[in-house]
Amino acid sequence: MGFKYIGKDIPRPDAVAKVTGRVLFLDDIKLPGLLRAAILRPDYAHAKIISIDTSRAEKCEGVIKVVTGKGCKLVYGDNIRDLTPIAVDKVNYIGQPVAAVIAETLPQARRAVKKIKVEYEPLPVYIDARAALAGDAVLIHENSGEFWHLPGIAPIAGTNIANRYILKKGDIEKGFEEADVVVEGEFNYPFGSCSALEPHGAIVWFHDDNTIEAWSSSICPFIIREELARVYGLPVCDVRVHIPELGGCFGYKSDITVEQTIAYIAGQVPGRPVKWVATRKEDFLSTLIGHGMRTQIKIGARRDGKLTTLKTRILHSTGTSADTGVHVLIAATHNSTGSYEFPNCYLEGNSIYTNTPPVGAFRGYGHQESQLAVERMMDILARKLDMDPFELREKNYLGPGKVTSLGETLHKTNGDMKECADIVRGIVFSKPKEISEDEKYYYGRGFAALMKTPKGATFSSKSCYLKFNIDGSVSINMGGAEVGQGLRNVVRQVAAEALQIAPERIRVYTEIDTQFSPWEWQTIGSMFTTQGGRAIVRAADKAIRMLKETASQVLRVGIDLLDYDGDYVFLKSDPAARVPVPELGRGYTFDDGRTIGEVVHTTADARLPRQSNPDENGQGTMGITYTFGAQACELRIEKETGKIIIDHFVSAFDVGQVINPVQIRGQVVGGVMMGIGASLHEELKFTEEGKAVNPSFRKYRFPTIKDAPGKQTVEFVETPGEIGPFGARGIGEHPVVGVAPAILNAIYDAIGVDFYEIPVTKEKIKEALDRGKE
Amino acid sequence: MPEKITFTVNGTSRTVEIEGSEKLIYILREKLNLTGTKRGCDDASCGACVVVVDDEAVKSCTFPAKKLAGKEVLTIEGMANGTNLHPIQRALIDAGAVQCGYCTPGIVMELFALFHRKRDATDDEIKEVLSRHLCRCTGYEAIYDGALLARKYLSEAVDR
Ligand code: FES
Ligand code: FES
Repeated sequence: MGFKYIGKDIPRPDAVAKVTGRVLFLDDIKLPGLLRAAILRPDYAHAKIISIDTSRAEKCEGVIKVVTGKGCKLVYGDNIRDLTPIAVDKVNYIGQPVAAVIAETLPQARRAVKKIKVEYEPLPVYIDARAALAGDAVLIHENSGEFWHLPGIAPIAGTNIANRYILKKGDIEKGFEEADVVVEGEFNYPFGSCSALEPHGAIVWFHDDNTIEAWSSSICPFIIREELARVYGLPVCDVRVHIPELGGCFGYKSDITVEQTIAYIAGQVPGRPVKWVATRKEDFLSTLIGHGMRTQIKIGARRDGKLTTLKTRILHSTGTSADTGVHVLIAATHNSTGSYEFPNCYLEGNSIYTNTPPVGAFRGYGHQESQLAVERMMDILARKLDMDPFELREKNYLGPGKVTSLGETLHKTNGDMKECADIVRGIVFSKPKEISEDEKYYYGRGFAALMKTPKGATFSSKSCYLKFNIDGSVSINMGGAEVGQGLRNVVRQVAAEALQIAPERIRVYTEIDTQFSPWEWQTIGSMFTTQGGRAIVRAADKAIRMLKETASQVLRVGIDLLDYDGDYVFLKSDPAARVPVPELGRGYTFDDGRTIGEVVHTTADARLPRQSNPDENGQGTMGITYTFGAQACELRIEKETGKIIIDHFVSAFDVGQVINPVQIRGQVVGGVMMGIGASLHEELKFTEEGKAVNPSFRKYRFPTIKDAPGKQTVEFVETPGEIGPFGARGIGEHPVVGVAPAILNAIYDAIGVDFYEIPVTKEKIKEALDRGKE
Repeated sequence: MPEKITFTVNGTSRTVEIEGSEKLIYILREKLNLTGTKRGCDDASCGACVVVVDDEAVKSCTFPAKKLAGKEVLTIEGMANGTNLHPIQRALIDAGAVQCGYCTPGIVMELFALFHRKRDATDDEIKEVLSRHLCRCTGYEAIYDGALLARKYLSEAVDR
């Protein structure tokens, strides 16, 4: 299909301001009377607070106020209300706020916070879900049965189970009876950190007129606004939230992370704004972390390779609260089928409270965790069946007419799994392996298919305000957060196409401000292009209709006889009879000065159509827009050290329609790198006592340029979808999903060792090689 | 005791009061309101804070303010000439190397110091200096391409 502005490399509108350092991130904001806060974190991951002595801190220079949680009754959470802004009489994880100092300057606040003395009585610590589930485990939340929660989510009182989600499809017993072969395994995707380069931060200002104004490095201004209003008993309109530029997100700046804590602190000094920005250590331990998922998987198949059944049980160490992790787990559970149709499923996901920071969204949102399991199992099953792994997969791919675990029947418009797989296969596996071993290296190749759904919410709208200016240029205002992914340019290109107006004449919003921006649930789930784009198309259609209505009065014809091309509204039968668009944007002015018609401002929103809550079988319209893809890698393992070198990484996704080729490649290349980091290096580690082992960049070790693959190949299939604008689907998270299984499958190909957990460090490889030699 | 020091920032002489252990990043961001220089870590590992001091790329998060007297500091705010971007900035944009942009100022300054020292720096030298910078968004491919493009733009600027 011929597009004018879609599918073109149009430079992003925010690049100049970023490359000159002019954009304002949270920490760059200065306000009159701005105070700074520093927060005390506990010495123990699980302990009763016996006493807090703030007297020495209060005497320090520049200190305005020392804050503790004594008597704090505030609770929050938009899924399960199991969060408090500060520890009250007990600490539950090592990053929790225990006390805070507000001072004139940051060095003063930091000096004083060290002077606070806290006495604790330690309690048993549970880092892993399995330990927290033991019969004699102490309860992390004694009153979990009383927590408010959304329908369908519920803590099991008297246990550390924050939620259990069960999905049933078909008859699992029958499925196993029909199976000739059964394979099973247990896979672990450990804790990780999104580690955006910009740390979290927030500014909160309780104004004298009893309104609240806040700034946050967050992607969900409206959730923050609604939760602050609820907690402080204000009408929502009296809370204003600004989102400045964001220095990366990758998931962990979604939901509420630090804002309620900073509000609680700032609430002690009404009239003055208080700023807090995380140290890197705090960013690792006091915001949201990722993963922490253990997947037990059992698959049955017939001898001919047809899958009969899937049983998964996921244990999620969800951390001190489940509010931000519960949907990650639900997504991991119902997407644990990967890209395959299983006629019978029993999928169980357990969110378990642990003494670790809360788990939240991490690019991929549960998919990479459980699909590591299914994609490794497909290779293992193929071996057991003595079948080509591609053939096995092909027999079972989801596609038109196939039914997902959720019970949704797929259509051609959901994308083409096999074509993605064929592209990747053609690039990496078309020839037999040239070499499997030489003096220095073992060589391996591995493949993984993948599927992703957005995991939205039923009310997850995105909205668009569109305004024609007097010269025919257009301003677009939305609530979607630009975190670096290039969202603003997608908005601009989609609007340009929908309005047939050059992108240079379309200005897209920068800051999000709940006072001016249209409502948006939050910018998550790789949904913005799909839903936000649909909202833009709807707003543009309304605007064009308004332009035509005014023009129909000017030209004195019925509006059905008119057409629009971005420059003019004209008579279809006689294009010379026309009105220039700039003359219509504010209504039309006749020569005598009289005006008619409306100012062209429109609004529209879009959500995923017919999204539902799960039914009693855990099924429902909950996937809606599926995206398929395939990834593969070619790697080398250094015999001497065990070091893994990725020579070539290949990805193909069916994205429906590419909007900006440079940007979409950037998304994939960056996402793959993130997946490589998780597969080979990254793990946020805690000691048995719950203390963090590596909360710094040096120790956590996310990839540098030296870890980048020798080459990345990125291909796209474009089977248009029915929901997104011009057929487009989301892509932000997908590139991480198949990386770990592709690498682990390649490791097996290279050295014949099956790994079941990541990261596969060079030490682990070395150990496996040495074991092999014995 | 606060002490007064004078140094040059982006061509302008500035005098600031410093206390004992302050670092250059604090002076730039908090005292001179030059917020283009970013802080990304606590352990001098990310490179977001890199500025140029007397032609050398330095991490401003570890550079002691005390040592600033008489030095010439160049920050990201001093790179473009009005709306005329520096070729390095232009190159990073053209290569699609700017996503969230948080790592970008440090990388621009790092490349500036490198090409100032050696206009025809080799691919490996470029990779080596870039390995001092963390970027969570791009996967480095576009940044590396941008650096190569910057080298090209700079040599064209000289030839012209
Ligand atoms: S702030 Fe990270 S190296 Fe300076
Ligand atoms: S562009 Fe975001 S950290 Fe580099």
